Amino acid sequence: MALRPEELRRIAHGLGREPTTVELYAFDAQWSEHCSYKSSRQLLKQLPTTGPNVVLGPGEDAGILHLGEHNGERYGVVIAHESHNHPSQVVPFEGAATGVGGIVRDVLCMGAEVIALADCLRFGNVDDPQSHQRYVARQVVDGIAAYGNAIGVPNIAGDVYFDEGFNDNCLVNVIALGLVKESEIIHSRAPERSAGWDIVLVGKATDASGFGGASFSSLTLEEDNQEANKSAVQVPDPFLKNVIMRASYRVFEYLRKKKITAGFKDLGAGGIMGCTAELCAAGSYGAIIDLDEVNVSVENLPAEVLAVGETQERLCWVLPGHATADVLRIYNEEFSLPEIARGARATVIGAVQEEKRYVMRRGGEIVMDVPIDFLTGAISNEPTHREPSRATPSSSRNAHEPGGLAQVLGARNGCSREPLYKEYDAVVRGTTVIPRGHADAGVIAPVAGAAFGVALSVGGSVAEAARKVVAVGGRPAGLTDCLNFGNPNNEVHFAQLAGAVATLSEDASTLELPFVSGNVSLYNESSSGTAIPSSPIIGCIGVLDNVSKVVSPALKHPNSPLYFIGTRGAGPALKTENQRIAALLDAIDGGLILSARAIGSDGILAAAAEMAFAARNDFGVEFNDEVMPETRYHGWLIEAAEAATFEDFASRRLSREDWRRTGVTTVADIGGEVDIVSAGRSWDLDELHGAWSTRLAELYA
Amino acid sequence: MAVLIFPGTNSEAETVRICRDVGLDAESVHWSQGASLPRYDAYVLPGGFAYEDRIRAGAISAHDPMMDYVIEAAEKNKLVLGICNGAQILLEAGLVPGTGAVRRPTAAFTRNAPSGKFICKHVHIKLCADPARCAITAALPDAAVIPAWAAHGEGRLAATPEHLDEITSGGYLAFVYAHSDGTVDDAAVPNGSALRCAGLTNKKGNVLAIMPHPERDAWNFNHPDIADRKAILAPSGGATLFRAFAKALA
Repeated sequence: MALRPEELRRIAHGLGREPTTVELYAFDAQWSEHCSYKSSRQLLKQLPTTGPNVVLGPGEDAGILHLGEHNGERYGVVIAHESHNHPSQVVPFEGAATGVGGIVRDVLCMGAEVIALADCLRFGNVDDPQSHQRYVARQVVDGIAAYGNAIGVPNIAGDVYFDEGFNDNCLVNVIALGLVKESEIIHSRAPERSAGWDIVLVGKATDASGFGGASFSSLTLEEDNQEANKSAVQVPDPFLKNVIMRASYRVFEYLRKKKITAGFKDLGAGGIMGCTAELCAAGSYGAIIDLDEVNVSVENLPAEVLAVGETQERLCWVLPGHATADVLRIYNEEFSLPEIARGARATVIGAVQEEKRYVMRRGGEIVMDVPIDFLTGAISNEPTHREPSRATPSSSRNAHEPGGLAQVLGARNGCSREPLYKEYDAVVRGTTVIPRGHADAGVIAPVAGAAFGVALSVGGSVAEAARKVVAVGGRPAGLTDCLNFGNPNNEVHFAQLAGAVATLSEDASTLELPFVSGNVSLYNESSSGTAIPSSPIIGCIGVLDNVSKVVSPALKHPNSPLYFIGTRGAGPALKTENQRIAALLDAIDGGLILSARAIGSDGILAAAAEMAFAARNDFGVEFNDEVMPETRYHGWLIEAAEAATFEDFASRRLSREDWRRTGVTTVADIGGEVDIVSAGRSWDLDELHGAWSTRLAELYA
Repeated sequence: MAVLIFPGTNSEAETVRICRDVGLDAESVHWSQGASLPRYDAYVLPGGFAYEDRIRAGAISAHDPMMDYVIEAAEKNKLVLGICNGAQILLEAGLVPGTGAVRRPTAAFTRNAPSGKFICKHVHIKLCADPARCAITAALPDAAVIPAWAAHGEGRLAATPEHLDEITSGGYLAFVYAHSDGTVDDAAVPNGSALRCAGLTNKKGNVLAIMPHPERDAWNFNHPDIADRKAILAPSGGATLFRAFAKALA
């Protein structure tokens, strides 16, 4: 258990008695960092969360941004972000797969169709073929593929980096997007006047898996606890999830037709207890749950396992009594859940009650009876117990490696990710405009017949993620974050977290972008006291009004002028970034830009090489003397359709410091090679491509 | 036309969409509604992981009660198209190449080689039989090259040498993997498939099983290389197969 002595005293004081066993486990889950954000809540309040296009900010299972209008309907894009770091370190295939499964439920329970996935992975040093970290790096990818492919949601964005700092603690962050009509959003709360309504559990039969997961994720990983930790990991069933998703879509249709307002929420950390308590507390109600009604796959499970165990593939409805029979029929008969997986079904397990107490019964006895707000209310925990850090803060995750362009592109952190993402279905649903890996951001056109599209990118900072969305022609609309850090009770790690949140907040405010969802993953360190490198992971959602304006990074024509838009030097000058973003998007809209790429930490030459690779090495790039390969470039490399028109536009819209001509695209002489040329050096593109494209193949063959 | 949904099917949305877009009157038919199947003129089995690909992709689905109706319909010369998982089901049901008994397959789409893993890759498939050999392809030009996405873990055609000979000599091989210019070589094959096979038909030519997804390259925006941005919302090469299907039913 993760509860501390002072928290135990607080529970006994609040209840006026010692807690029962079930109550103890319930508070352990509900007051864990994972559920309560007790260490980070105060910090997270700094993040901007409002804006004209925010349909639903943070607070429920997922946030929603306005996307566009089609046939008189307003559509929103639903965004959820989760980490599944600890489970993936212990049991990587299942841990990563259930990470995908969990995030999909967060989107589904907003009444949305799940339309896209992304994942951000950090693995340790994988050089040693026998190492656990190499096993983790391979199995995590297989787990994500197995789950995402089977449920039929395209994987359109993501990244992966390798660093020794993740040897004991990998990161598996997953983002899911959904599509919902803004008039048809379902909320994760018991609706108004819902006292007496049914609480309906849907999905897999409850078993003993995933017991103690919420507190497990809020502790550091102890070597000698490996076996016990394994039981805290859940068991994925994407086949059942596929059917539950489609059955739930049918239920959405039914509820809309009958004009019924219901509550819907996924079961995550804290199991039945966590989900039903939060659902009812959010509606200012209490709940009575009868654990004897829960469909189980193992008889005689202890009440606390039934109450807080995290068996996967489960969701929970709050439904008016007159709708319950129809909804049960859709799940149990039309979609035959009991025939899809043993014991799976939809079943009434309790009711919403007026009195704001959370009550659980088992075998006729009351095993839990607590004030619901005391259980779910925020417990704030400004860390008091701080140990000196034994970990050294890591440098940036993708440092410029010595030895020039070939080494940068051939390094594990700079090479093509195709050997990994080719295992993921990027095109299921038939809506994909830019699949994963083909540009800085993935793009889908989710509404049949509508011209608008959604872009999704990931990055280590707000500026990086936003720039990637702009590179494909998307207007940045909002953000999601997952903050992966070490033990917050450690002074240094808490300071790192606080510093990162302050930076995110400042950058997002400067770029006028709201955070609409997010997640915090702390305690990412091993028992030896080694914490992971600080890893804020940011997703940016962009909107394209018309996907026909989408821009790819592939160079298009010989002898095109190339330009850099942005600033150079140590840090990005974000104060003027919005001006550059607006100008670049207008230039794209006006057809002035043929191809574009956000320049990453690998530098401007690497960006050019990747634009050439995307064009199958048909064109090279010859940089002029303006370009200093060792300088940090914060911005975009773009191929303009025509020099005069672009320069006329740029001189009107941008400060003279913010754009410069950098070179020209080239073609080979007949039979010759195509090169990247800069400062008197040249690199053969085919050779660069060879190193770049094969580096990860040995890991993901 | 019925688009069949088995437990675990995941490509019904794009399949129904392109069928309707080319003028086919497509309806989803769910596994609990199988009794309605006899009233349809044609059937499409879309992609997915029906019954979790247990044993081998398509092996369990071939025994789903819905397949009784499909087998009966195929015997009555109705048109049946299987894509990806749908193709795997048609092979496991023994409908293509159909050289053995019903539900006694003589060939199967099995685990990709050499990786053994799922692969998502843009490909082209080339019609290698006489277009008229299969009713669904009859309206396609000779040697038509169609863009599609391969997205499968089990797409490698495997059979005994005798059965592979039979497939070749009997004209059951409908599509092979090719490059965009129509050239055919091993480099175009994403999964180690025998005969470079991407699609098979049956003796009567009323059933077609193809592994890659033309319905996921059905609009210009589905292309990995965006060449003509103005026409990005217009139908693309993958739609031609469905147009041919519509002509066969007209």
